[in-house]
Amino acid sequence: MTDLYGFIRSLFEGMANAGLLPNVFHFQFVGNAVIAALVIGPLLGMLGSMVVIKRMAFFSQAIGNAALTGVSIGVLIGESNSSTYVSTFAFCFVFGLVLRYAQQRTSLSNDVLIGVFLSISLAIGASLLLFVSARTNTHVLENILFGSILTVGPRDLDILLGVALVAFVFGGVFYNRIILASFSPSLAEARGVPVRAVEYVFVILITLVTVACVKIVGAVLVEALLVIPAAASRNISRSLRGFVGWGVVFATLSCLVGIVAPMHYNIPVPSGGAIILVAAALFLATTLLRNVHPAFRSAA
Amino acid sequence: MAGPGLRFDKVSVRLGGTEILSNVSFDVAPSSIHCITGPNGGGKTTLMRALLGQVPFDGTITMEGPAKPVIGYAPQSLDIDRNLPFTVEDVLAVMLQRRPAFMGRSASLKRHQDALLARLGLGAKARRLFGHLSGGERQRLLFAQALLPAPDVLLIDEATANMDEDVVRLIEEMVRELSASGVTVLWINHDAAQVNRMADRVTEIARKVLSDRAANASRVLEPSA
Repeated sequence: MTDLYGFIRSLFEGMANAGLLPNVFHFQFVGNAVIAALVIGPLLGMLGSMVVIKRMAFFSQAIGNAALTGVSIGVLIGESNSSTYVSTFAFCFVFGLVLRYAQQRTSLSNDVLIGVFLSISLAIGASLLLFVSARTNTHVLENILFGSILTVGPRDLDILLGVALVAFVFGGVFYNRIILASFSPSLAEARGVPVRAVEYVFVILITLVTVACVKIVGAVLVEALLVIPAAASRNISRSLRGFVGWGVVFATLSCLVGIVAPMHYNIPVPSGGAIILVAAALFLATTLLRNVHPAFRSAA
Repeated sequence: MAGPGLRFDKVSVRLGGTEILSNVSFDVAPSSIHCITGPNGGGKTTLMRALLGQVPFDGTITMEGPAKPVIGYAPQSLDIDRNLPFTVEDVLAVMLQRRPAFMGRSASLKRHQDALLARLGLGAKARRLFGHLSGGERQRLLFAQALLPAPDVLLIDEATANMDEDVVRLIEEMVRELSASGVTVLWINHDAAQVNRMADRVTEIARKVLSDRAANASRVLEPSA
């Protein structure tokens, strides 16, 4: 795959030499980050529609925070500071599955239960950070919290592509079933959908994608990239196709502009923050458009 | 061909320490229209959820007939945020096809759906947002989806509560046609007049079976209004 990444980066460089792309595309790490953005954007655009339809934004926030704890555990048990995938995936899977299991076996409302789990995870993460900070410098922690394009290497791209492949296949196959199970569990059962199983599929998809995106967007902000592009899309969409399509466009655009613009204009902000600010600007623009343009007032 | 018969034998459901159903036993004859009545909170919808495998229960529920009967289910409502951009076509695609609904309707869904929506007066509203439909139109849509693919057993949960009289007559006519073609219909119904018009047999449930009787009136096929 390294050859493929190199080929794509050389294309970027060629276009930069021809004046078609900004000069920052000469940097290898910018090329890597842009490749990552082109994968993350469509992925988060598709999954974001599910998150909004299922009203699970708070759940994805909890998984993002669990990633922080997973990274801390990874550093403590000796994983590389810049690549704690094993512990992060493992902790987030356990966290997500236990949370989902508890949701199905309690009368507490979803937001209360997720709030409890989120707080527990954050408390564990904050406590572990005390020990982790003694073993590493604060920049590593900043990168984990808010993302950094400088640290994205070929191994990260491999993991991201693998996750994207799995998420697109399973997300596509289970898309209707996951949504139908949230519309009406009874109807879903009548149509042969194993409701509990597809809920776990959804949890696994969100966990996979959240962990894979932490490097670019950051543990704290990855949930925002699931929700804001979908919310912006909802402002101007009049069908599910438009909702998902615009969500993909907005998420990809946010990632690309959020990565390239700070480099091009030499603005010292983390990539995660810049990406979410671009997404927020798109949300504000579509909200304005919806309120002033008659064609969009009748959107959902 | 006759649809499957259903047998509920000593079905009990306990949820969160509360007994919702207690030793409920009755039979639903193949190809009949069987109405379930009773007060709110009496366990009618829970019984249907037990039949669908959605709640754990004691006792047995058996279907006698085809090995894998197709079950059509028309619920009272859907839990869709009315501000989401789902058109009528999108909702049907989510329910009825494997291809992700955002990629559009499959060819087979188009073929079957258009005629059914037209018959139920929703043909011109296929691209309207689900959240913009009236309560009656949403229930018509839920009834329509229950008929795709053609069911062996049709479960109806208060399908006509918000519909105007003409549409109620149309739904009744369609249910009679389905029953005549062999479909077994189990219908939760609060409308005593409609139960009298439609039912072959009526079971009244309030935690347990209060009565299980043949319907008073014989069913008469009437032309649609």
